[in-house]
Amino acid sequence: MKHLPKHLRPRWRYLAIGIESWPDADFGSHAFQRACWYAAQNLLGDPGAADVDLRVFDFSFADGDGTAIVRVRRGEVERARAAIACVEAVSGSPVGLWVLGMSGTMRACEERYIGRASGETAERNVAFADSQRPALMRDGRFDVHGKPGFVGATSLDI
Amino acid sequence: MVDYYEAVRAYPDGESTVARLARTAAEYGLDGIVVRNAPETGITDENAEDESDGRPGGGRIASEYGVDVVDAIEIDTDDASAANARVTDRREERTLVLVVGSSALNRFACEEPRVDVLARPMADGDVNHVLARAAARNGVRFEFDFGRVLRLSGGQRVQVLSDLRKLREIVFQYDAPYVVSAAPESHLHLRAPRELRAVGETIGFDREDVERGLAEWGRLAARNRERLSESFIEPGVERGRYEEDD
Repeated sequence: MKHLPKHLRPRWRYLAIGIESWPDADFGSHAFQRACWYAAQNLLGDPGAADVDLRVFDFSFADGDGTAIVRVRRGEVERARAAIACVEAVSGSPVGLWVLGMSGTMRACEERYIGRASGETAERNVAFADSQRPALMRDGRFDVHGKPGFVGATSLDI
Repeated sequence: MVDYYEAVRAYPDGESTVARLARTAAEYGLDGIVVRNAPETGITDENAEDESDGRPGGGRIASEYGVDVVDAIEIDTDDASAANARVTDRREERTLVLVVGSSALNRFACEEPRVDVLARPMADGDVNHVLARAAARNGVRFEFDFGRVLRLSGGQRVQVLSDLRKLREIVFQYDAPYVVSAAPESHLHLRAPRELRAVGETIGFDREDVERGLAEWGRLAARNRERLSESFIEPGVERGRYEEDD
């Protein structure tokens, strides 16, 4: 199909999103995409969700830490932010999301905000709340195995 | 520059320790956290040292992550006289005193100047013009709880949104003071101020309303710290050297 003339092409903004979850969370790009669209549809309704677009590109996530680039229609960035803030869980794993930054091209977005190497994850036993427990550690953050699930802690608590 | 605060519930009630919440808050660009369950977490306002059981003190966390840590208490009882006794008990030792709203306590909290914040006023109770006027008179802040907007969906969220709208209309009509919070219980529930502003705008608040609500926690904490300090005697009267006129 022929390309649209430039003045008719939609203008996009690309949001770099930071993703954080518990270390046992395991979901891929598709699940994240579904969660974003679901959140947008729930908060903004069908027309709003269509307006903001929220297509996920460049998703990476491992060991409870990741990033994604989400495409948003220009002029709808604030509504997109609101929808992203309402993503509470992906595939049943609770997630913390925040917008690292915004760019007009995907390349600028990647270069500026994505790919800051986070430290290695290590597992070790730590003393927390009067008992020895296994924990996953990554640059000063500790996710300690709790009775059910995890407890989020830092090096100060250990 | 406005300072944004968030009122959190930390381990053991929540899923993350105060230190982890403070660390994440710093990453998100928040300037302070209010610990709603400070007695259980062992946080007090001034202790820069670790507690005897190895838990870090509020001052230590604040200096490590560059985020103000405010100790608060949430009073959650069934009847007003018990709540009154606990307010009397705790007012002197905690920087902020919150009362969890319910049909039994909303009225008590709004009429009690020693209460700082009426938390979740619509979750289990109701607010009307009489309460809003009383709260405005006594300086009791209503809390707009965004947490349930962020973390619920479907019919429950519709209910929450309609409650928030009703509360907003009443509060703004009577110019009652208010705070805004996402009431996070783990570092994954935290959201950055810009995101909260965007959510607020989507559900019918102005940008400035949300900003003011987030900053109000910090303003309250600063006021109460001054009042609890030893040099404070009563509003306008302080111990110390008088200011020189020149």
